Amino acid sequence: MDIPLLGKNARVSDKKIAGLHFLNVVRVVWLREILIYFRDRPRVISAFMMPIVMLILFGEGLGGIIELPGISYRQFIFPGMVAMIVLMNSIFAGVTIVTDRQFGFLREMLVAPVSRTAIAVAKIFGGATIALINGVVLFAFAPLMGIDISFLIVVKLMGLILLVGFMLTGIGVSIGSRLRTPESFQMLSQAIIFPAMFLSGVFFPVNNTAKWLDFFVQFNPITYAVAPIREIGLGNELEKVSPEVAASLINIQAFGHTFTILEELGVVVGFSLLMLWFAVRGVRNAS
Amino acid sequence: MKNIEVNALSKNFKDLTAVDKVSFDVNKSEIFGFLGPNGAGKTTTISMLCTLLKPSTGTALVGGYDIISDPGNVRREIGIVFQDTTLDERLTARENLTFHGELYGMPRAEIGERADALLARVGLTARAGDPVAVFSGGMRRRLELARGLMHKPAVLFLDEPTIGLDPQSRRNLWDYARSLRDSEGVTIFLSTHYMDEAEACDRIAVIDYGEIIALDTPAAHKSALGGDVVSVTGPDLEVLSSEIAQTFDIDPRIENEKVEFNIQQGANFIPTLLDKLEQSVDSVSLRNPTLDDVFVSLTGHQIRDGDISTTEKMRNVQRTGFGRRH
Ligand SMILES: Nc1ncnc2c1ncn2[C@@H]1O[C@H](COP(=O)(O)OP(=O)(O)OP(=O)(O)O)[C@@H](O)[C@H]1O
Ligand SMILES: [Mg+2]
Repeated sequence: MDIPLLGKNARVSDKKIAGLHFLNVVRVVWLREILIYFRDRPRVISAFMMPIVMLILFGEGLGGIIELPGISYRQFIFPGMVAMIVLMNSIFAGVTIVTDRQFGFLREMLVAPVSRTAIAVAKIFGGATIALINGVVLFAFAPLMGIDISFLIVVKLMGLILLVGFMLTGIGVSIGSRLRTPESFQMLSQAIIFPAMFLSGVFFPVNNTAKWLDFFVQFNPITYAVAPIREIGLGNELEKVSPEVAASLINIQAFGHTFTILEELGVVVGFSLLMLWFAVRGVRNAS
Repeated sequence: MKNIEVNALSKNFKDLTAVDKVSFDVNKSEIFGFLGPNGAGKTTTISMLCTLLKPSTGTALVGGYDIISDPGNVRREIGIVFQDTTLDERLTARENLTFHGELYGMPRAEIGERADALLARVGLTARAGDPVAVFSGGMRRRLELARGLMHKPAVLFLDEPTIGLDPQSRRNLWDYARSLRDSEGVTIFLSTHYMDEAEACDRIAVIDYGEIIALDTPAAHKSALGGDVVSVTGPDLEVLSSEIAQTFDIDPRIENEKVEFNIQQGANFIPTLLDKLEQSVDSVSLRNPTLDDVFVSLTGHQIRDGDISTTEKMRNVQRTGFGRRH
């Protein structure tokens, strides 16, 4: 595809050309993110290692101990694993902006006549795409976890992962654009990922947690990302149990209200936009 | 026609004044040199002109656009080779160029052609498909020059462009710079600490502690210096110095255990000097003016000792990559 581009004589005020240029910048910066991901062998290999580790840890380990109404823990944790994979890969994807700064490449992008928003959006889409790739690898393990997964569920989950990945990479880029070393990024993102994971219903149905934890759970935006992944991911399994049991497994009761999946997605979209705004500001002030 | 107009530009970092109200103009199709020691404020000035750093006070127009109110248009007009490498090591040489072309909105067909032509120009065609990670320091430098030229900028900033280049690549770069100026009318702004490089510029601004202390053509700088440097040693420097001052009506200085003075056509002067001096002399030496001499005469202090050699060594170590030379 050949895009008419912003030649030297075109003015920025030419809205249509500027718009096409914006999209093209998003495309090439995104493409580079994906390219350097695949050239980083250890990162690619870990996409296959993580699910296996999780499978043993949660499927075999915890699976034998924890009892849930209606379904096995192994089934329950499968969408949780999807959420964990997305969480870790997306937030961690924000590290590329730190390394770009460290190796100077960020300046190459910032000195070019490109919108800072385009750079932020592309980075965020890049992280979401990498999360999606890792998530899709995990789908292959669904039968091992006793999950009946259909093509439709896979498609829906993919869409969800992209959306949730967008929100979480937004967090990563917001942090990354404000930090100078990959080490500090690593520390800070770990400090966010772990509590956020434990307080989001990844491991247990949120309504089962202690009351004082509820407080953190309902303010944790990731809670609202995990719930739809679980609801969709367990789709076929939930039909086999009573509506009450299903509700106890997937519903979030927060602020005295039971969230529907659309409301949960609304929270995710809202928080994504907020993170996008933070990320754009971060890139704009970076140098 | 002026392509860069700088008006009382300053930059403070906390209480350090890195750039102190500098003003100068650069004409279209001119090679303009910024000559100064480490920490003089060269990179800081370039960063402001390239819109990457907000000035504390003052303004500048680059390519006719204001760096503060219209950074987008400034970015479209300029190309830059940064002092430190800014390549993506995981991309190949050619990918670094094509990515750049896309960022600058070049038409797709032109991107490939131009990338190949530039790779050939800097002698990297055979290595086009290798990741930059395996490039040597000089190869990276040449690739960065090619990248800075990808989108045919009207104004080209080169921050110490020849650091890490071998003599042949250095000459090649200068030939290219001159041909860009002459055939395409490109304005080139470059920083350096080498006198010989500064001499090749059309005009040189000497910058020290953030201030421009002289701005002229190389010939004018040299004649302002008063010609060649003659150094004389002897048993008593003080006496030697005052005798030289009286006999020849010149103003010598004592430096590094030598009596030094500037004089036109120093080689012809030495016989006269030895003939007329009563004091005993141990040695006489003659050299062309160096950057140090320009500095001493302009600022009254020596270029900060050791600065250049040590940092430059460090940089060269950093840049010397793996792969073989091409
Ligand atoms: N981001 C910064 N924060 C604080 N001080 C800075 C910053 N950038 C530069 N400086 C200071 O500003 C002064 C000028 O630095 P600059 O990099 O412009 O020097 P330079 O002339 O390019 O030197 P060199 O030849 O070593 O490249 C130095 O004293 C430096 O320490
Ligand atoms: Mg510098």
